[in-house]
Amino acid sequence: MAVNNKRPNGSFPEGDEFDRFVRRRQRVGKTWHGLFFAATLVGIIALAALLIDVVDDTFGYVAIQSNIPETTLVMEYNKVRMLNAPRTLASEDDQLLAQNIGARPTAIGFFGYRFYQKNAESLTLLSVDGVQPDEQTVESGEYLLARPLFVYTSDAIIAEKNQVAAFLFYYLNNVNQQIRDIGYFPVSEDTLTQAQDAWAEATGLTASTVENLYPVTGDVQAVGSSTVAPITQQMADEFARTEGQNVTLTVNSIGTDAGIRAFCLDREGDILDASRAMGAVDTDACAAKGRQPLEFHIANDGIPVVVSAENDFLTAVTTDQLKQIFTTADNWSDVDPSWPDRPILHFIPSGDSGTLDFFVANVFGTTLEEQDPADLIAMLSANISSGRLRALEADIPLANRTPEDLVALIRAEVVKPQGVGSWTLFESIFKRQEIAAEVAAIPGAELKFYSWLNWNFLTSPQSTDPYKAGINVAIWGSLWITIIAFLFAVPIGVGAAIYLQEYSTGKSRFDQIVETNINNLAGVPSIIYGMLGLAVFVRILAPITSGAIFGYGDPSTTNGRTILSGGLTLGVLILPLVIINAREAIRAVPQALREASFGLGATRWQTIWNHVLPNAVPGILTGVILAVSRAFGETAPLIVVGVATFIVVQPDSPFSKFTSMTAQIYQWTSRPQAEFRHLAAAGIIALLVLLLALNATAIILRNRYARREY
Amino acid sequence: MEQQSVISSAAGAWSDPTQPIDLHKRRRLGESIIRVSLIAAAFVSVATTIGIVLVLIFDAIKFLIRPEVSLWEFFTSTIWQPQILQFGIFPLFNATVLTSLIGMSVALPIGLMIAIYLSEYASARARGILKPTLEILAGIPTVVFGFFALGFVTPLLQGIFGKNNVEIFNVASAGLVIGILIIPLVSSMSEDALSAVPRSLREASYGIGATRLETAVRVVLPAALSGISAAVIVGISRAVGETMVVAIAAGAGPRNFANWPEALKGLNFLNPFKAAETMTGHIVRISGGDISYDSIDYDSIFAIAFMLFILTLILNIISRWVVRRFRQEY
Repeated sequence: MAVNNKRPNGSFPEGDEFDRFVRRRQRVGKTWHGLFFAATLVGIIALAALLIDVVDDTFGYVAIQSNIPETTLVMEYNKVRMLNAPRTLASEDDQLLAQNIGARPTAIGFFGYRFYQKNAESLTLLSVDGVQPDEQTVESGEYLLARPLFVYTSDAIIAEKNQVAAFLFYYLNNVNQQIRDIGYFPVSEDTLTQAQDAWAEATGLTASTVENLYPVTGDVQAVGSSTVAPITQQMADEFARTEGQNVTLTVNSIGTDAGIRAFCLDREGDILDASRAMGAVDTDACAAKGRQPLEFHIANDGIPVVVSAENDFLTAVTTDQLKQIFTTADNWSDVDPSWPDRPILHFIPSGDSGTLDFFVANVFGTTLEEQDPADLIAMLSANISSGRLRALEADIPLANRTPEDLVALIRAEVVKPQGVGSWTLFESIFKRQEIAAEVAAIPGAELKFYSWLNWNFLTSPQSTDPYKAGINVAIWGSLWITIIAFLFAVPIGVGAAIYLQEYSTGKSRFDQIVETNINNLAGVPSIIYGMLGLAVFVRILAPITSGAIFGYGDPSTTNGRTILSGGLTLGVLILPLVIINAREAIRAVPQALREASFGLGATRWQTIWNHVLPNAVPGILTGVILAVSRAFGETAPLIVVGVATFIVVQPDSPFSKFTSMTAQIYQWTSRPQAEFRHLAAAGIIALLVLLLALNATAIILRNRYARREY
Repeated sequence: MEQQSVISSAAGAWSDPTQPIDLHKRRRLGESIIRVSLIAAAFVSVATTIGIVLVLIFDAIKFLIRPEVSLWEFFTSTIWQPQILQFGIFPLFNATVLTSLIGMSVALPIGLMIAIYLSEYASARARGILKPTLEILAGIPTVVFGFFALGFVTPLLQGIFGKNNVEIFNVASAGLVIGILIIPLVSSMSEDALSAVPRSLREASYGIGATRLETAVRVVLPAALSGISAAVIVGISRAVGETMVVAIAAGAGPRNFANWPEALKGLNFLNPFKAAETMTGHIVRISGGDISYDSIDYDSIFAIAFMLFILTLILNIISRWVVRRFRQEY
């Protein structure tokens, strides 16, 4: 009757009603079981969301825009050096170059492969770094001056325009017959078959059904590289001639980079001629604009470096020798003493030519790291004001600086990269195409995947430029503060714990006050400790905490807002925690040990020192580490005590100004710019890793000295 | 040294049987010094409390006796705006209460349900995984939760309730995250209380045919009520004192009202989607700059801190009283 007082008639259910009754109770029980479990999951999901949010903000794409792109700076510098070298003839006319070289035994030069073929008998082809250009070495990229050539289109264009589909079919099937005449190297059959397969997949047609496309009429517009344009032009001419189709090709040779922008962003042209493969970023930008690129590798380019057939000392050169030959060397003997002491004559394509760019990029490299210190100094001097140059010379003479230093200097003074956008990890993964399209629309901007947590971040001080800012000073600040808090709280805390556990009877008034007081202190909000620190350590004890009475610092500028104040404040804050944990550990030491010690005539302190403490040490250590990690993660009291808002020098004494990792994270979080949010996230990861290390130490200690069974 | 002297004096006693052995407690200077220094260490914690109370009272009084400030205004005005010398604690206090309420309405049910699950339902293996995971949550610095509130929870709320309805800084986001922050505290204290209930009570309950749910909710929970109430009160105290989350996510200025009718109209003062600055948040913001001593700002934050201290002290005292008063000894 009392079992279920909700039943009006007060009787116990029977039969079917009983079954229903039991089932209902089971159902309710299961539902709540599920709910209790769900609540537990909520806690874990919150933790997961928090960690994912932090990681999400630590990595991701950034868009960097430069004053002068590094590649342009390096290439222009080397091009000008080549064109201004003595005895240099630069001409657009490759045939002229070939004839001149052929006629002069001390001449050297390079031009399109086709003109080597035409004049092969009067020229000697040089091997570069031991590799001769031929079909294999060019396709594999083994030859230094080789590159693949591509045409691109997109599925949508092929589907929409029959003439493009038909032209490309012809192109892919016939390019290898024509390519040598045009002056390039053919690709292997495999590569070409792959391209044909890609075409077949995109059109849904095969070689036998391609006739369905005919007859075709209309325009085909090609845009992009001037290197590839002749091939496309030739193929179009042949297409019109042999197939008799009324298709006209218009070619817009604006270069590969401009071509990619026009093709992808402005949706210009049906075919993109490209002398390099599209990167992932380009592909994404294209796809975002509805032009998923379709790639055909149609030929290879290899620039021959040639001398006259009459030249009797040269059949092979190295990259380093090429650099000297075309810039600094006057005579052949300057490069190699075994070569004749006669002046070098250069015959090279003119400055507007893609061939010269290609040679410069491959021989001299495109990054600052690949340049010699002398060249770096020249690049720097040419691009900054004379006043700035004098200032730099006065600091450390340029000639005495390391190459790394010079590269960094050029980046900072000339290239001046600037962040113009940043994205989180999830955005970078799921909105790749939109981001790529957005960045492609910013002139000179470059998209790269960036980890905000990097070596530079860990070793640099604070900066207003988020790409240069680091957390180093804050890490040192946190360590200093934590160590001072440790030195303050541990002796006092353990001492108090020993008193309370071993001496106190718990009956005297003092003992009761201490007891109550510790419990109360543990519940005081941490910011109140900050107020205590501000009033006592920073203000009243300023002469001590500023170091003035020890002769530290300049008395007129120092105040009590120092590491010592911060450390002592946190020391006071973790004191109750240390006391409670240490007491717990001391209490766990069995009474029998004490009694045995007393029984042998030991005094109280001898008992504590020789028997109680050694047994309690693992427990005390674990508690102390937990308290220290609490101090490490505190923010509010430090801000109240007065962290410095912007310091760039590492603290060097307890009387230094300071900031902590947590305070730094707070400052970054409070800034509205997304970049600082990324920095805060990177700082959080660094903080959590350090905390994890601290806690792992505690766990290892606990396991190592696992509680003994008494 | 001491040991040697003990032996030698004993030997002396043995050598002369006519002398009775001296069994008096010896005075040991070293022991006394140690004892006194240990007492001094214990006293440091008392001194901390005395220091806190003195500092807060001293500066709070200095604030309240300033000619610009009146005690009446401090407790009744609805504007806290130091620039125009308006010092009414209500806007700050209101924000603190609001964030704490939101926080507790998250932490209390979830924390309690987690405690019941872990203590009454979970297998030893599940506990071994779930408990340490929740402890990790408890060990994460609060500034990280602030980052989480501003960068994750606020956009989430804006997504759910509309960007126009939810300000970037808002009380709801800070309150929710404070709730998450307190969950491990509430759950672990409650779980301790639940686990302390003796097995015999559960077995008796099962014996008369109660289900696991009925046992947990009607037998174990009431038996552990004192511990759970303590957990709740400690949780509130923690929520009231929480600083970084509100400093980052709740707002950078007090939510002032021209007068009381204005505040009460449409329950404006309770709107969780608007910015508001709590007592702790205000202290952090004001002291974040290089605050000069003896300015009215400097004194005012001590007055706020004093209020905060009293508030948490009362909560702590209640919690311990509840435990003592309602504890059931088995």
